[in-house]
Amino acid sequence: MSSFPMLTLLTFLPIIGMVIVMMLPKEKRSLIKITTLVATGLQVVLAGFMWAGFNYSQAGINNPATFQFVERIPWITFDSGSWLGMIKIDYFLGVDGLSAPMVLLTALISFIAAISSWNIERSVKGYFALFLLLDTGMMGTFLALDFFLFYVFWEIMLLPMYFLIGIWGGPRKEYAAIKFFIYTLFGSVFILLVMIGLYLSVNEVTGEGATFHTFNILSMMNPSNYTQDGILSPFNPDNLRFIAFIGLFVGFAIKIPMFPFHTWLPDAHVEAPTPISVILAGVLLKLGAYGIIRFNYSIFPEITRELVWWIALFGMINIIYGAFCAMAQKDFKKLIAYSSVSHMGYVLLGMASLNEVGLGGAVLQMFNHGTITAMLFLLVGVVYDRTHTRGLNDFGGLANNLPVYTGFAIVAFFAAIGLPGLSGFISESFVFLGAFKVESIRLLTIISAAGIVLGAGYMLWTMQRVYLGKLNEKWTDLKDLDFREYTMLVPLAVIVFLLGIFPSIMLDLMNTSINELVNQVTKTDFHSIMSGMK
Amino acid sequence: MNLTSTDYLNILPLLLVGAGILISLTVEMYSKKSVGFLSWFSFLLHLLVAYYSLYTVNNVSSVFGGMMGTGGTVNIFYFIFNFGAAIVALLSMDYIKKAEIYFGEYYILLQSAVLGMMLMASATDLVMVFIGLELMSICFYVLAGFQRKNVRSNEASLKYFLLGSFTTGFIVYGMALIYGASGSLNIQSIFSMLSAESTPILFYVGTLLFIIGFCFKIAAFPFHMWVPDVYQGAPTSVTAMMSTIGKAAAFSALLLIMLPLIGSKNPQTFTPLFTVLSAASMIFGSIVALAQTDIKRMLAYSSIAHAGYMLIGLAAANDTGASGIVFYLAAYAFMNLGAFGIVSLIEGNGDTEGTIESYAGLSDRNPLLAGLLALFMFTLSGLPPFAGFFGKYYVFIASLEAGNVWIAVLGALSSAISAYFYLRIIVVMYFRKSDVASDNIITESHTSLLGIVISAILVIMMGLTPGSIVRLINSF
Amino acid sequence: MSLETILFYFFASICAVTSVLVVVRREPVFSALFLVLNFASLAGIYVTLYAQFIAVVQVIVYAGAIMVLFLFVIMLLRPEKEKSIFSGNPTLQKLSIGVGVLVFFQLIYIIIAGTISSGKSVAAEQRIRTGEVEFIGRELITNYLLPFESIAFLLLAATIGALVISKKKFE
Repeated sequence: MSSFPMLTLLTFLPIIGMVIVMMLPKEKRSLIKITTLVATGLQVVLAGFMWAGFNYSQAGINNPATFQFVERIPWITFDSGSWLGMIKIDYFLGVDGLSAPMVLLTALISFIAAISSWNIERSVKGYFALFLLLDTGMMGTFLALDFFLFYVFWEIMLLPMYFLIGIWGGPRKEYAAIKFFIYTLFGSVFILLVMIGLYLSVNEVTGEGATFHTFNILSMMNPSNYTQDGILSPFNPDNLRFIAFIGLFVGFAIKIPMFPFHTWLPDAHVEAPTPISVILAGVLLKLGAYGIIRFNYSIFPEITRELVWWIALFGMINIIYGAFCAMAQKDFKKLIAYSSVSHMGYVLLGMASLNEVGLGGAVLQMFNHGTITAMLFLLVGVVYDRTHTRGLNDFGGLANNLPVYTGFAIVAFFAAIGLPGLSGFISESFVFLGAFKVESIRLLTIISAAGIVLGAGYMLWTMQRVYLGKLNEKWTDLKDLDFREYTMLVPLAVIVFLLGIFPSIMLDLMNTSINELVNQVTKTDFHSIMSGMK
Repeated sequence: MNLTSTDYLNILPLLLVGAGILISLTVEMYSKKSVGFLSWFSFLLHLLVAYYSLYTVNNVSSVFGGMMGTGGTVNIFYFIFNFGAAIVALLSMDYIKKAEIYFGEYYILLQSAVLGMMLMASATDLVMVFIGLELMSICFYVLAGFQRKNVRSNEASLKYFLLGSFTTGFIVYGMALIYGASGSLNIQSIFSMLSAESTPILFYVGTLLFIIGFCFKIAAFPFHMWVPDVYQGAPTSVTAMMSTIGKAAAFSALLLIMLPLIGSKNPQTFTPLFTVLSAASMIFGSIVALAQTDIKRMLAYSSIAHAGYMLIGLAAANDTGASGIVFYLAAYAFMNLGAFGIVSLIEGNGDTEGTIESYAGLSDRNPLLAGLLALFMFTLSGLPPFAGFFGKYYVFIASLEAGNVWIAVLGALSSAISAYFYLRIIVVMYFRKSDVASDNIITESHTSLLGIVISAILVIMMGLTPGSIVRLINSF
Repeated sequence: MSLETILFYFFASICAVTSVLVVVRREPVFSALFLVLNFASLAGIYVTLYAQFIAVVQVIVYAGAIMVLFLFVIMLLRPEKEKSIFSGNPTLQKLSIGVGVLVFFQLIYIIIAGTISSGKSVAAEQRIRTGEVEFIGRELITNYLLPFESIAFLLLAATIGALVISKKKFE
């Protein structure tokens, strides 16, 4: 724990950038862009420092003492006497092995999306201000350890995304933006209710011995903190923990997006401008899975154990259904959107395994999917900028006059398929290894494995249609990548290779925390308390 | 009963407003060009009273032999009414010129309505509630029909008057039955009588009628039929006032019945009733609002839905619910005042409809107003970190505390539905190109803009540090 | 049967019959005249309940002033359409019948419950005293001072409102 407010700076650096952008006159377009780039760049540097100072042996998860870079200040505190008891909402940030990879991912993807936003033309000032606000929302969501704070960041994220799709999007932007908004809001009201329920059921004891309700996530993970009669308390024989689990799960699953809540994703991706697609696929989808692991798994372990089969089932459906849908697409972006649905299925499957290998694979898959899919969307953006079409059948033979571009595309596609040596392979095999170990979901795992074949099918078919074969005459004078596009694609490609060869870079970072998480979710005994009551 | 000077000192806010009415009346009588003066006079008067009410908020007492209470929640209500009225005065300055109702009586009636609300909020005796209610209602009936040349305004006034009188009958009948059952009109003695012996069924029938009457005033579901027409037909500045502080005043009367129940043997006596009313209002308001094409009608149905959210707090029948309602009312007042303020600037004079379509491309024509309206829409839909979110959060927390889970779930679902129609306005403003044929000329008004900006600041402040106001509300 | 009871039944039956007649008469002037009779018989009931002041007010204000106003309005407007208000709107008719039946049963209940629980009994002298003008006046300027004063503003607002609606000249 250091006195330097690392995480606050990490979270609010973009807000500082936003304020500067807002103050700049709107004609100074390049100055606005440079400000954004500097803010996100500094964020990457800070994230790097955080990584360097990160202690690999501290687990976090449920123990406030082993969280790192913790900042905890009372935010809304008042003692209202007889009326409300004591309300206490903390500004509580911290990082552990679960959130650290996500923080790195967020910083990186934001930086790359900022570069990718360079060719935004319409109301530049508004765009970058919202972009930076979105960045803060995402970062805060991963770092918050107070449920209330988490919820506020979660919703803050929603607004800029809505406008970024709705104003700078494609032809059906209105529909896509509102669909995205309503789906997410629908999920978040469930999260809100569960949050209030937990708040009323959990007590924390201050140094002076006074007890009060708390939003502290870590307190919610310990059965001994629950009140006797709270509606989500295991001590209460009529508790609603099962329903609360479902509500919270649905709230997060919409963001993943899990079948059958996935329909907003293809629309949002197709209409969003390239950098926003990159952020959406790279970071936002991870929030759903992160939420389930951080909240559902740790706060409701006993129900998680009951429902792993269902989680695995939905994972399987996501994998297979997403792959089949991807195969049927004629739009390049929609194809990648559905491949995202399929790939997030692996995350769900890995999560369902409830063991170190599977969960580690799931978190790694989150990181890898973030980088690989971001790369895929950037690649689509590159050709879309030049040709203004995304129809898969409009292309053909691009390898002939865009050799470098095709090279990057091949890396990304093969990583997505899961070719050994590239990052996707490691995480997918971890997921399958972990899931296969578990007797109850073995059948589902075997069926899911077909997803790899299907994935290879649609990916290779797409490559053939777009890059191989005879060059379409329309595109003979296309130019290869320029410097800006190199700066976006090279770092991602390096990461894809690096994590393919040395996955331990990431695995070591999260290893201790994953072990502790598995411990929390499989050992924490909410049940015996309940049965002891009956 | 011995009256002392402290009795009069304690009702100083009421005396100030009363004196203001008389001064305004005199000025209006002797000067032809007094409207400009009266508008600023009303603004400053209400601002002063609002400040004074908050300043003396700790001065809890009962005055005039138990006729009314002061301090605490009463003063918070004073603050809401007067600050709201001050903003309405700002919004009206240029609007009433455009609406061709540039008369001094407008402000006299505005002040009288506020006096009525204040009487209602501070009453601890049913007689006072009734007088306050009538004073407020009569002013609203007239204000709604102020545009005498406009057919819609006439219709609004008449409809409001007829249905309003009808419900007044309900309320008086209810009071009579309560009196018959308990032998007193004083709230405290009514409830002490009830806790002493078994409650006669007559009391429940009376209270039921009383509640039904006020449900009309707060625009809850089965008693809402007047709302859309009146909100649409009345001058927009008047609608802004009716839908915000008028609603707050009616809720203050309902709290009068509910507060003594808290801590009694059966606090949840009326919970089933309030739960059903609340559920029906939320669902009906949200769903019908989806189909509206006129912004004032849309806001009218949203007002029905919001009445439903606030009723969740009444259904909870605990302290959290009570403070939740007060917070929600304050939040709702400022966000709706802001929204209606913007509508009043954008709507044309004469019969031009305030269709949602006419807001197309507002973000290009007037980015400031579009941004502010977007802010108010977000807070109405209950997104953090704005005030509307904390209002909902409070009533939800109250209802979960009371074990009334499904109404909170229903509230959450309906607020997700309602986000759709609030967002539609933003979609139209930001994502649609401006229509060339759109003949709406946005009125330039610095005073209105000031009122709107003050509302916006309050909405944000109450969202970021809800504690500051909740602490105030809760310190009694 | 005491005189009191006989008087009560006398006034009550007039009251009931005339209130029916007010509703069923087709000519509005007749309705209004029956309403006068209805008010007068109500005043009689008030007297039997020792509410002398209320009875006088009932006659002066309702049967006197308000009804004269009614008759003038009817004379000036000659409303022909009013006859068809129910025949043109069957839903309204059903609704009003429903409300009427509801109120009727409630009154029946109050009567029955009243006889069972015997109500609050107060000594006769006390009852007579509370009906006197002096007592009411004293109450109004002591215990009910604040409502009394507040009504001034109510009347003021109503006057201003009526003037605005009816007289204000629009340029």
